[in-house]
Amino acid sequence: MKIKFISAIIAFGMMFGFAFNAQADGHQGMNVPSISASMVMSGLENPWDMAFLADGTMFYTEKCKGLSVRTKGGKTHALYGMKGSKGYAAAGKDLFCDGQAGMLGVVPDRNFDSNRTLYVYSTSTKYHGSGCKTNFEKCDGNIVMKFKVAKNLKSVSGRTDIVKDIQYKPFESDQPFGGPGAHNGGRIRIGPGGYLWVGTGDRHRGICPQDNSLLCGVVLRIDGDGNAHPENNPPAGGDKRIYTYGHRNVQGIDFRPMDGRAFTAEHGPWHNDEITALVNGGNGGWDPAEKRAGRAACPDMYCGYEPNQKEGMDPAVRAAYTPMSDTRFGDLMPPAWNNNGFSQGTGSAAFLKGSNWGVYEGRLAAGIMGIGFGDTPTGLRIDMYDIAADGLSIKTVVRMPLGMSKRFRGLVMGPDNALYAATDEGEIYKISAQ
Amino acid sequence: MKRFASALAFFFFCLTFSGYSFAGDKVAGEARYKKSCIACHGPAGKGAASYPKISGREVSYVKSKLETYRKGIKVGPNSSLMIMMAKPLTDEEIANLAAYLKDARYVNN
Repeated sequence: MKIKFISAIIAFGMMFGFAFNAQADGHQGMNVPSISASMVMSGLENPWDMAFLADGTMFYTEKCKGLSVRTKGGKTHALYGMKGSKGYAAAGKDLFCDGQAGMLGVVPDRNFDSNRTLYVYSTSTKYHGSGCKTNFEKCDGNIVMKFKVAKNLKSVSGRTDIVKDIQYKPFESDQPFGGPGAHNGGRIRIGPGGYLWVGTGDRHRGICPQDNSLLCGVVLRIDGDGNAHPENNPPAGGDKRIYTYGHRNVQGIDFRPMDGRAFTAEHGPWHNDEITALVNGGNGGWDPAEKRAGRAACPDMYCGYEPNQKEGMDPAVRAAYTPMSDTRFGDLMPPAWNNNGFSQGTGSAAFLKGSNWGVYEGRLAAGIMGIGFGDTPTGLRIDMYDIAADGLSIKTVVRMPLGMSKRFRGLVMGPDNALYAATDEGEIYKISAQ
Repeated sequence: MKRFASALAFFFFCLTFSGYSFAGDKVAGEARYKKSCIACHGPAGKGAASYPKISGREVSYVKSKLETYRKGIKVGPNSSLMIMMAKPLTDEEIANLAAYLKDARYVNN
């Protein structure tokens, strides 16, 4: 009897213990969705960004070709091409691509259904003027255009350039990725209130990110005509269109569903990719100028890959020399995530929306492209970040289980609560969760 | 005659042991490609983003380019990057990469 009683106690304890362990493990009761990817389009040339209408119509850009649309029925129409591109209903003779530059971001106006307005970011020669003679002067070479889209989705008209002075790198420089057209940013999104947000890049010019008279290494918040949001708060003397500055190359921007707060995702310079919660007037902390913060002269006055930019070295040593988020700035926006000090090409970003994403709903997804230099493992994945409410840290980061490795260039949510991803390999994927 | 035979033997000896003169190993080249090159040049050397397509090139072309970069000679805007990547490559690895890239084809999954 005594033995039976003890056995029962032990059995009960074991059962209780197992149950307790299952809960402590954290998986019991969690709604972890099944995630799968299917190809929507292939054979594209550097698809860079997509934008959806409520009915599933998808606009998309190809960096060196132009703007196209895929209708909800699956037909495609080439709408507005770059100079020299063929098969488009119209083309911009001033639009060109070189290196990382070309036709990049696309987004519809909040009131697209009534005004048929679409915004597109591209490189252009139209506003070079007397600038752009060297890498060390003003070069207005990236623009944001506004179009009217025909109801039959076969053409666009009424091009109006609402931003004409985003900076561009016209010539090669002495840097590892030194070709012309470097660091244009290029992601554009509609944020709270229907305002247009525009990410730009430092275009390999050292003084850019901390010089608020130039549109480079900044995030803009503007209306549909290109005017500054009245509540933008740039530093004194800064361009009023600037929401934040001190960025390196903003290719990812989206707004957290729970509070509308803007977050950016950025490539690091061989160290420290970053996810950052933006603050109006805040400083991303990127300052690649030479002869500052204890630095000496740098190749072509740009310290972005220094020191020792032609050799592999510990990312932490580079980070100490030219930090992504330099703590000497009092207005610094500290990153929520820094990729454990690595740079793997973190680019576009989109918050996951819809209950179908289960435990991942509300997390930020970011596409990570490459490059595995030195001892840095290659990226080629999509990460999902559970960001703390204050935006200053993450709770967890989980790799999206896709069963494939790609250079994920552009991420955007579709109206079907699926995540759509453009890859540098030339494909657009639909990533579903259920 | 004896001299000729010796020279001939020496010639074949060189051919046998130079290794680099012969076609590279495609399988080894693919493995090396996936380790160092794929993140920029994309799968099967198809090219990606601002990084050019490098598949379908003659073996001699790829070898020549990689050897040039390995010597630290600039030949384009991303030379600094390529010089860093090529520096650690052995002759054998260059031959293997060239052999792989000549016939590499991207198959969409």
